[in-house]
Amino acid sequence: MLDAFSKAVVAADASTSVVGDIGKLKQFVAEGNRRLDAVNAIASNASCMVSDAVAGMICENQGLIQAGGNCYPNRRMAACLRDGEIILRYVSYALLAGDASVLDDRCLNGLKETYAALGVPTTSTVRAVQIMKAQAAAHIADNPSEARAGAKLRKMGTPVVNDRCASLVAEASSYFDRVIAALS
Amino acid sequence: MKSVVTTVIAAADAAGRFPSTSDLESVQGSIQRSAARLEAAEKLAANLDNVAKEAYDACIKKYSYLNNAGEANSTDTYKAKCARDIKHYMRLIQYCLVVGGTGPLDEWGISGQREVYRALGLPTAPYVEALSFARNRGCAPRDMSPQALSEYNTLLDYAINSLS
Repeated sequence: MLDAFSKAVVAADASTSVVGDIGKLKQFVAEGNRRLDAVNAIASNASCMVSDAVAGMICENQGLIQAGGNCYPNRRMAACLRDGEIILRYVSYALLAGDASVLDDRCLNGLKETYAALGVPTTSTVRAVQIMKAQAAAHIADNPSEARAGAKLRKMGTPVVNDRCASLVAEASSYFDRVIAALS
Repeated sequence: MKSVVTTVIAAADAAGRFPSTSDLESVQGSIQRSAARLEAAEKLAANLDNVAKEAYDACIKKYSYLNNAGEANSTDTYKAKCARDIKHYMRLIQYCLVVGGTGPLDEWGISGQREVYRALGLPTAPYVEALSFARNRGCAPRDMSPQALSEYNTLLDYAINSLS
């Protein structure tokens, strides 16, 4: 498992040179608190994100909860929710580390083959991951509008500044895209 | 590669939970302390060749018998290899400063070190002398800030201890 610092070291060692790009790491350090806010935004809303994503996936494909569907008895529905949480958890680790290696090594490696063997439809899984990606972007940016949220408007209150963590939203999205790419 | 962040993630993963508040706090602590080591890493990277050259010269000066025929520093090829070894140690120390732990030195420098030097019949005392010279050469605030120098010296001590 690597993080942003050890990734720089491993890359430099491959060419037996010193780590030259310290500026990028300093930026990682300078933006550290925002990164932690982003991880916290995902971790604190995890169960809500997972259940909403699975509910949305089923809403669009009712066949999943009919007899013979992959979410049909509660046992399989529970497995589905558990898998959603596992994927989201590894994405939160990758976001904390600033590197995708933990997600690749411990979650995505062999996931597609496992799902194929178990008969899990990956198109549905991908849809749930896409919903979680949108949710993560919204929670990290933490900038809900009156127009959309209405009476349910709620802010996490993280002290983000005006660019609303655009780079972290992009980074988190890239990890979700990695999951989608690994499954399809 | 071990660092504060990967240790925290490995522990959270073993327990199957999302990063908790205390996990995030320990990462934050490591981030807040990283300014000094990144400064040292940056300055060492800028002067690595000179630092390694001076350290190499110092150890050959002290152990001048190494220049005698048949010794470890007797030919141009050997000289280049000795200088390269010192540079390797300084480079690994720079990696440790970047990562914020002794992982790179442990994994790429110290592991197997004793066996290699014994097999090649190399004395470790000159390495100790070279690194000790670098240890005494660094000066705050001329070279870097006192905090950065202390991070750098700690790692030099670690490398010296591994050799002696």
